[in-house]
Amino acid sequence: MVTRRVRSAVRRSVLFVVALGLVAVCWEIYKAVGPEAGGDIFGWRLIPKTNDRVMPHTWEMFAELTRPAIGQRGQLVWQVLLGYSWYTFQMSVAGLIVGTGIGVLLAVVMARFRIVERGLLPYVVLSQTIPLIALAPQVTAIRGSLDWPQWTSAVVLAAFLSFFPITVSTLRGLQAAPAASLELMASYAAGWWTTLRKLRFPTAIPYMVPGLKLAATAAVIGVIVTEITLGGLRGVGYATIDYSQKVTSQPASVYAAVFAAAVLGLVMFAMIVGCETYVMRNRPQEERG
Amino acid sequence: MTSQPAVNVRDISMVFNAEKSGQVDALRDVDVTVDSGEFVSLIGPSGCGKSTLLRLIANLIEPTAGTVEVNGKSAKQACADQDYGMAFQQSGLFDWRSVAKNIELPLELKGWDKAKRAARSQEMLDLVKLPDRGAHMPWQLSGGQQQRIAIARALASHPPLLLMDEPFGALDEMTREHMQSELLQICEVTNTTVVFVTHSIPEAVYLSDRVVVMSAGPGRITDVIDVGLGKNRDEGTREGDSFYKKITEVREALRGAELGDGARGIEDR
Repeated sequence: MVTRRVRSAVRRSVLFVVALGLVAVCWEIYKAVGPEAGGDIFGWRLIPKTNDRVMPHTWEMFAELTRPAIGQRGQLVWQVLLGYSWYTFQMSVAGLIVGTGIGVLLAVVMARFRIVERGLLPYVVLSQTIPLIALAPQVTAIRGSLDWPQWTSAVVLAAFLSFFPITVSTLRGLQAAPAASLELMASYAAGWWTTLRKLRFPTAIPYMVPGLKLAATAAVIGVIVTEITLGGLRGVGYATIDYSQKVTSQPASVYAAVFAAAVLGLVMFAMIVGCETYVMRNRPQEERG
Repeated sequence: MTSQPAVNVRDISMVFNAEKSGQVDALRDVDVTVDSGEFVSLIGPSGCGKSTLLRLIANLIEPTAGTVEVNGKSAKQACADQDYGMAFQQSGLFDWRSVAKNIELPLELKGWDKAKRAARSQEMLDLVKLPDRGAHMPWQLSGGQQQRIAIARALASHPPLLLMDEPFGALDEMTREHMQSELLQICEVTNTTVVFVTHSIPEAVYLSDRVVVMSAGPGRITDVIDVGLGKNRDEGTREGDSFYKKITEVREALRGAELGDGARGIEDR
């Protein structure tokens, strides 16, 4: 069983690299055969330019990582990005933890009181249609009035994005306990709270895992968008803005920042998968992801 | 038999309010008494209310009219005091707990300390003849083994009464017969009173001191048959003439109840 899991992990990693390579190959093929100045289809400008400013070579993007960073006193781009990523990572984790706390709490309250579920769930869904950029200045204003440090804005907005998948998946999981098991707990004269701890919550765990995976990447997006919107926070979001202003001199640098954001999302995702493997180690095979 | 009855059901009626078909008489004017140490089966066609009756005794639902007493207490008090254990058709073991931890669940809820729980779960594992499976996960066991663990869990706190709802219904015939013999031995050793819901006539006859025959529409008791096969039953019991006679008697009681109704055909197995 262990060797099978290792083999499947290796296969997935290989496929991941192969897929990345294929995208790079497509990019390079188009760059090689596409028109330098772009083109029209039936009068519509649909064919992008292939010059080095619009579409830098893929190897340029990677090479960019090892060049000296402008205005960073001898540090290389990847070193600078690593620093930014660490900053964003910390806030993403904090946002994910806060979001998970709020998400689980909401789910428990909704599972306990049907009426709260009916009343609150539409607003929970509605909350996710609000553009984060519209919310950011308001959050900052409230944060400022509370005298909290600036980075808490990013944590709040990351939590705002990540709580939703957790609430939905946890609620579904809490309601998934089989009737026979609920009857068993009732026959022990177990109260609602005991039933939650001993039965409903453990039943919910496999349902929560996909929610957590979504929430982890959502938290990263929350922090990056906050950094882009508010300024003053020196993370990956700041790097994308900073580098996009250098697009004329160093067109590949924007992609370097994008890589950093993508890797950050993957690291968060991997963290959840790690927790999943640990928590689910004793569950039957079919319940595991 | 001199003490108060283990279960005393008086004039129970149970009406369910179904959305479309209006009111359903699940049970009407039902009286049952189960003496301490007795093994009583409830048998009847589906819809006769045998599971409903079991759930009423377990206080999982409350009757529309009538009273249920368990060991001289109200059903509610008996539930709070954990005077009974339950086993269902699905073993209902928790996937995330080891076999031993599953058996310990009712003890945990009663607030037993860890060492005492571990000692009791080992004792129960020995009783159901799976002494070395405590550390396994439930899903690593066969269906029959899982059902044994469910019985061990139901008996872990030594309740005087065991309520079982078709516990062997999902098992194959061979495992089922084996489990029946095991259950009789366990009850003998632990001196447990059992109320057992089944739809199998041979199962009811083999296990029971008395078979309560029920009929549907409205759910009611139509006959009570004393089995009288004695206490020491074994595989030979299944081949004896008196066993077959009792099976025929229960079958005729079931059929008679149905014919009296002019109702649907019955499960004749």
